[in-house]
Amino acid sequence: MFTTKSFIKKNKVGNYLKHVREHYIRDDIACGLQECESCFPVESFLSPDHENKCALFEFNHYIILDTNVILDQMDILEESILGNVIILHTVLKEVKHRSLPMYKRLYNIIDNPSRHFYVFINDHHKGTYLQQKEAELVNDYNDRCIRAACSWYINHAPKCRFIFLTDDSANRAKALQENIQSLSVSDYITNLNNNSSLTDKLSRKDYHAKDAAKDVFPNHLTNVELLTGIREGRLLQGTFRASRDNFLEGFVSVDSYEDQIIVQGRAGLNRAVDGDTVALELFREDDWVCPSDIVLEDEGVEDENVDDVISKENELKRETKKKRGAKPTGRVVGIIRRKWRQYCGILQGGIDGVYQLFVPADKSIPKIRVETRQAEFLRTQKLIVTIDSWPKHSRYPHGHFVRALGKIGDQSTENEVILLEHDVPHSQFSEEVLACLPKMPWIITDDDVTKRVDLRHLDICSVDPPGCTDIDDALHCRPIDPEKLEVGVHIADVSHFIRPGTPLDREAASRATTVYLVNNRIDMVPELLSSNLCSLRGGEERFAFSCIWEMDHNANILNVRFHKSIIKSRKAMTYEEAQLIIDDKTKQDSVAESLRNLNKLAKIMKQRRLANGALVLASPEVKIQMDSETMEPLDVEVKKLFETNSMIEEFMLQANISVAEKILEVFPDCAMLRRHPVPPSLNFDPLVKAGRHLGFEIKVDSGKNLAKSLDEAIKKDNPYLNTMFRILATRCMLQAVYFASGAFQKEDYYHYGLAVPLYTHFTSPIRRYADIIVHRLLAVICGSDATYPDLLDKKKTTDLCQNLNYRNRMAQYAGRASIAFNTHLFFKGKLQDEEGYVLYVRKNALQILIPRYGLECTLFLARKGETSNIFEYNEEDQTQKAGDVVLHAFDPVVVRLTLDSNNIQHEKFVLQLVKPVVDNFSVPGIDQTDDNDKKRKSPEPDKKKRKKKKH
Amino acid sequence: MALCEAEKTFVLHGVEENFRIDGREREDYRPMELETNIVSHAFGSARLRLANTDVLVAVKIEVDVPYPERPREGKLEFFVDCSANATPDFEGRGGEDLAVEISNSLAGAYRSPEVFDLTKLCILKGRKCWKIFVDILLLECGGNLYDAVSIAVKAALWDTRIPLVKSVTVDGNNIDMEVSEELHDCQKLDVTGAPIMVTVCKIGEQCIVDPSAAEELCSVGALVISVSRNKFSTILQTGSGSLHPQTLLECLQTGHKVAQRLHDALIETLVDIKPSENSVGFLR
Repeated sequence: MFTTKSFIKKNKVGNYLKHVREHYIRDDIACGLQECESCFPVESFLSPDHENKCALFEFNHYIILDTNVILDQMDILEESILGNVIILHTVLKEVKHRSLPMYKRLYNIIDNPSRHFYVFINDHHKGTYLQQKEAELVNDYNDRCIRAACSWYINHAPKCRFIFLTDDSANRAKALQENIQSLSVSDYITNLNNNSSLTDKLSRKDYHAKDAAKDVFPNHLTNVELLTGIREGRLLQGTFRASRDNFLEGFVSVDSYEDQIIVQGRAGLNRAVDGDTVALELFREDDWVCPSDIVLEDEGVEDENVDDVISKENELKRETKKKRGAKPTGRVVGIIRRKWRQYCGILQGGIDGVYQLFVPADKSIPKIRVETRQAEFLRTQKLIVTIDSWPKHSRYPHGHFVRALGKIGDQSTENEVILLEHDVPHSQFSEEVLACLPKMPWIITDDDVTKRVDLRHLDICSVDPPGCTDIDDALHCRPIDPEKLEVGVHIADVSHFIRPGTPLDREAASRATTVYLVNNRIDMVPELLSSNLCSLRGGEERFAFSCIWEMDHNANILNVRFHKSIIKSRKAMTYEEAQLIIDDKTKQDSVAESLRNLNKLAKIMKQRRLANGALVLASPEVKIQMDSETMEPLDVEVKKLFETNSMIEEFMLQANISVAEKILEVFPDCAMLRRHPVPPSLNFDPLVKAGRHLGFEIKVDSGKNLAKSLDEAIKKDNPYLNTMFRILATRCMLQAVYFASGAFQKEDYYHYGLAVPLYTHFTSPIRRYADIIVHRLLAVICGSDATYPDLLDKKKTTDLCQNLNYRNRMAQYAGRASIAFNTHLFFKGKLQDEEGYVLYVRKNALQILIPRYGLECTLFLARKGETSNIFEYNEEDQTQKAGDVVLHAFDPVVVRLTLDSNNIQHEKFVLQLVKPVVDNFSVPGIDQTDDNDKKRKSPEPDKKKRKKKKH
Repeated sequence: MALCEAEKTFVLHGVEENFRIDGREREDYRPMELETNIVSHAFGSARLRLANTDVLVAVKIEVDVPYPERPREGKLEFFVDCSANATPDFEGRGGEDLAVEISNSLAGAYRSPEVFDLTKLCILKGRKCWKIFVDILLLECGGNLYDAVSIAVKAALWDTRIPLVKSVTVDGNNIDMEVSEELHDCQKLDVTGAPIMVTVCKIGEQCIVDPSAAEELCSVGALVISVSRNKFSTILQTGSGSLHPQTLLECLQTGHKVAQRLHDALIETLVDIKPSENSVGFLR
């Protein structure tokens, strides 16, 4: 016999379907009582030997529970005092529906034979099945079913006694009417004979039927409301940036406001994700808060419970309300445009079921809820997930799994992650693109020779870093008369091979730059060009674009000309080799001569440039030596610099400048130039302050003064001090960018760092697309190539510049991320003492720079939010004092370096102070540690772990 | 079906005598059998058997966006499927023209707001509405399809239950609807105005209703009259013959009268239908 159950349910598309389920009703379901003779025997843990001793009843009895008892009093049920409990299937289903964790806990009890629980399938039993009445609420129907089952048991087994426990007074009253002995849980438990441990665990909560999914977020306004709001000025439009440290805080940059507008809390952020364009409502000034400096992490939980978020919101409120200096604050009322992309990350461990939480590598992105049936496998992988939607009743955005990248920690996986996270196009070149390449073998035809100036007789050579295969520049220098030298810079003629508008050109324009990772290079153009046809290799005939100056011996340019040429490089050298040739006085051949001349000229040019106010900046650049077989980092070292480095640099700068002048002259509207804006003086604050504390006055009013003050900031006892100043100065700078000359005023063309009025990129067309455009412009000027419409379109060039700037920035970040990852890999499991310098002094920490590895790490003096009882912070002087040890900015220190891998997505270095020695804080150096100490050290990582969590 | 001349004459004479071949008078219908709620997955359904004509109607409901020009109204659509089982003529694409004709005439008959109130189907003005799909399946053709279909459609719509919308919230461009899961929360449609179609068939000099398949072959032309609440909603002429104005008037009067009787009988029957324990019908 069967009946059907119909209900309406929404499907994925959003339509409502009528579902019909067949429901079978049987007469062979056993009651589970051992005493029963009419039912056939089944496995049942119910036992007549177990006694429930309640003072209210002088007889032993079975207990039947209502749903609310299980939901609220699970702690009591888990105590092994109550036994012989019959769980009705109706109740079990309801528990499962309301709370999965409770259901799991209940099932653990049911599975335990010593607890004597039995599940009775009342809803399929012929005697206890009830049809739902018209207009009957589910709750009432379930209650009715439960009571019907109780009555059935009482009639079915007259020898046994049954007690029905419920905290729902209405249900209890009805049960009593139907002659079912019924009690509230608290009445029952307090009268239990051995109740001591149970009464404490009673939940006193009054039972209310909970609403279905509650909304976690306020509604968004509709598009029309947003647009009218913005038009009328009630709402502001801006780009949302999430805080990396605090998941309940973000900032919206609005054009009309100087400060970023703070948004805080669930309601304030209202489902905005980093990068979204949002509409914002500004609060009244009384309600403004100041940005918090606390760190709040989202400890994602599997269900949609937001209690922990609420408590964190309150913490945040306390933190931000009490201080002065409130900033404009508002709340997000709607999303104008989503900027969702695909995110790399890992799954959060410890969650069962098909719904998993995904933790993006980017801390400013919230966790994402994904549905997957392969969680076990994915937990070991780095994966890509994309966001689909963020409904208001969900604590997390909903997304779906896109693909797995590979095992967590693998170098190839991590490279992939770095490339994806930085939006670097890194797929193989398509067939279409490869079809644009010249056919091999490639030969120079007579036609080519007639169109180009033949410079194959010149002694041209190239100087590059070791292992460089994409050689895009070569030089020569020869005396033409006693007063004059001819200096030529020859750049690979990439634009000869990459014709405008071809798939190859489009691909290169989209890639914009070659990306260098530690053990991998993502080419902008296919390898045939980058490492062969365009690469100015030694002894091979190659096409070049030459920039040839006539100079006097004081490096004054008398004359400059540009033309396409054919060259044959005599030798491809490394910086070191070139340096050796210059220094080796016995070498007198023409290459050595020209190198010496070039070097001499370069020195003069550099001198002149610096005198003009060009900045010498520093950032610790490191090189990672890789094991060629295992691809594991062997050593991390700071790049060595030779005189030849700066020699090449000078001529490249000069070539770029000369080309920039030329193309601007002919194409005042659409020349692709590079500018470096003057940083706002506010940016220099940290530098000026740091200088003042050490008794130097750093002048930042002009580049020239800055360069001069940096040169003067020298202390004899600390040779690294000057470099530190330069590192700080580098951080004050803005990014240099490409632009189309028509898009800016002439005075804005200025390149601040180089202190030249005009600059462009001409010298590396193999790895930069901007150079290709410049080549094309220059080729038009010297009549060796034709223009095409896009080249002369100011708008198109500006759009192109935007892409180039974006890709360059990303390529730079990707390179740094790759170095950081490999440095981490190198330090894994190592413990090392290193010399470092204090870069900044903070309230509870020191920022330490370790020049040997180019690392900048934080040495915590106290836990976050606390002040150290060892160190005394002096805000005025920017010092930390402990006893007679005073730490200033730029002081040398020795620190112990270890890698903390607790968070596999965000490994970081942990520092401990070795020198200067501070009692109760610093650790002895490794050299002094004997075996005893090592033993004592072993539990240390634990301590660190604990410490880290607090931060 | 093909009739020879003698058979045709026999039918014609019968009609003249007001004693048709199956013994009916001119304004008599053949016996009908009606069942509702027989497709459990549909929101409403009905099956009508009119002698040898068998029609199954199922109603499906979806959420849709109202037409911009009628933002306050829901949508109603008819779709007729001529099963090849109904008659060999329907094999392949044979039934398509007829199917389109029937669905168009139904759409026309239901178009007026007086006939069927579409505003009841609106959920949120201009944004969300219910769209009702009426799927009609011709299982067997025994003549007089229009009448049978219109009655079955009316019965199916009577049986239809529209899910109850508990709340509608606007969240940005998303509209969140909460719909009751319970079937008994559903709302019924008002179908008292739903048109009844009566095919009045001219045979010889006389008009008859509910022509059998044989009678249809003898007719020179027919008028399909749909009547809703005493008013004509559409009138459709089928067949090749032409009608004299006087005949037209007579046909309209006959159709109107018969439609009234049919409507009353149908409503009476529908009210009487009770869910029975021992289900009948062919799908269970």
